[in-house]
Amino acid sequence: MAQITNIVRLSFRDYSHEWRMSGCFVLALASVLAPMMILFGLKFGVVSTMIADLVENPINREIRPIGSGSYDDAWIERLRAREDVEFIIPKTRALAATIQLKSDTARRILSTELLATAAGDPLLGSGLRAPANYYEVVLSASAAKRLEITAGDRIDGSLARQFRGKRERVHLPLTVISVADPGVTPRNVAFVHLDLLIASEHFKDGRAVPELGWSGNSATAGARSFPSFRLYARSIYDVTRLVEDLEREGVRVKANVAEIDTVQSIDRNLSVIFWIIACVGALGFSFSLGASLWANVDRKRKDLSILRLIGFKSGRIVLFPVLQSCYTAFLGWLLAVLIYLVFEHLINHVLAPTLNIDRKLCFLLTEHFLWALGLTVLIAIYAAILGGLRAARIQPSDGLRDV
Amino acid sequence: MSIIYTLRNVVKERLNDGVGFRLCVPKIEIRAQENIALIGHSGCGKSTLLDMLALILRPDDSEDFNLHPIDGDNSDVADMWQRNRQGPLSQIRKRHIGYVLQSGGLLPYLTVRENIELPRRLLNLPDDDSIESISKVLGIQRQLDKLPGYLSVGERSRAAFARALSHRPSILIADEPTATLDPITTQKIMAVVMEVIKGLKITLITASHDWHHVYKMDLRTLNQVAEPVDDGKIYQSTFCD
Repeated sequence: MAQITNIVRLSFRDYSHEWRMSGCFVLALASVLAPMMILFGLKFGVVSTMIADLVENPINREIRPIGSGSYDDAWIERLRAREDVEFIIPKTRALAATIQLKSDTARRILSTELLATAAGDPLLGSGLRAPANYYEVVLSASAAKRLEITAGDRIDGSLARQFRGKRERVHLPLTVISVADPGVTPRNVAFVHLDLLIASEHFKDGRAVPELGWSGNSATAGARSFPSFRLYARSIYDVTRLVEDLEREGVRVKANVAEIDTVQSIDRNLSVIFWIIACVGALGFSFSLGASLWANVDRKRKDLSILRLIGFKSGRIVLFPVLQSCYTAFLGWLLAVLIYLVFEHLINHVLAPTLNIDRKLCFLLTEHFLWALGLTVLIAIYAAILGGLRAARIQPSDGLRDV
Repeated sequence: MSIIYTLRNVVKERLNDGVGFRLCVPKIEIRAQENIALIGHSGCGKSTLLDMLALILRPDDSEDFNLHPIDGDNSDVADMWQRNRQGPLSQIRKRHIGYVLQSGGLLPYLTVRENIELPRRLLNLPDDDSIESISKVLGIQRQLDKLPGYLSVGERSRAAFARALSHRPSILIADEPTATLDPITTQKIMAVVMEVIKGLKITLITASHDWHHVYKMDLRTLNQVAEPVDDGKIYQSTFCD
């Protein structure tokens, strides 16, 4: 035990005494490791960003019906029950789905598209509450900007129709419960409860909406059906099957199938290219690190022989270069991480904006850093043991005299 | 006095394609507290013999190679080398032998004090005033906190003696310890060393090509002859009592 404590102390003293040489080894290691980390960070960042874009962006999971059809509540419910469907909500006729919005702050009246929404709507994301009644609305960022309002403001919604030869307009006080993210849609959209959308259609069709006190013809009996719907698959991997199933039912739909396939194939190809580069790089890294550490042990032969002359056991002597290699491995890794982080910052905050990319191009997870450390320490220990065993195997006398 | 080293027909060769050097020791017995000098010109095998006596060089052949330190058990060194038992060999080195290298052999990254302390630390010896007292006797007490690089050659030589003696070994082996020093300094250092080893009842085995001071210090010299053998292919050096 005394020997091990002494070896730890001696190896550290020698390492810090020779700080210039140690610094060179650390630099040499970092200069090979840092580019590898940047390369991996880029590969991981670019592919992950593309995948995340695809997975996270609901537009890529949206399946849009082409033309108009007739979908009743039962059909909608059946789809909603499917495992691979994340969200589905009916749409009314496009012409009926507009509302005029007016705020106290903006002078102009904004004609806005009405979209039905409900809890779990991927367009609203997890952070926003869906409108719960006729009087609540979530505005798209563009609409909120034009109306110069923020969440919590009250606005006036109005609908107009020609009814029995007269032009009529009804007003509805609306509370903006939140404003959607600008990425959701560039259009002017008011996300409302399905009931308001249906009420709007009824009103425009000349029918009465007693709940809101809007007069008109009484409602006709019969099952309600919708011309269209808004449908999102649970993941991009479910899109293709859903599309196939819907088309089998005779529903003509459109989805970003080609784009999904492209990204998946880019991921595969990039991975192959990356792994070839990474393997060659790792091999070069192992050899360069191994050779420099091995050479260092050789340089230490005389000092190691003196330690053996004083009475250190051969086995303990191996610990000396192994520990020093571990110091180099750790410090080199630390420096490489710092270099990597500087480049990551430059790539993500200086380069990416010039390429009009608002996502991170280069990033690594904590486990990637730990993997790099583990690999570096392992190679370092392996190289040092090889060199150390050689130093321990020669007779101390030879080590003392051959320099 | 008891015999501590017994060597019979010990051979060490450094041959390349049958050409080179051979050291032969037909018979040497060294008694406790004897002071031995290996005298001979450069390349006659003094260092090789010292290294074998210090258990850091394996003999190629030996009929008998025993070491029986006065404060330890008898060890069959030939057998230990034969069976490559590095552990016990390093144990004997650590406990019983102090070695002064020609170059000093101080570790450059430790202060003089830490260098001198190292053998004691290895043996878990207590921190007493032995470092101070040996340094004072050797005249290096003011250099204790310096790195060896800042010492003069003479001071390094004294520090090397201090390290070799700090753990009170029973055998001190010194390989031309004063080779790089001027005669006056050599005489001063060796006089002090001789005093210390007498006081501590240590057996000194030293090599030197400086005939003059060896005779003055009253050391027993081993006989050495060197001659070419095997048609001049091998230069053979023989040491014996």
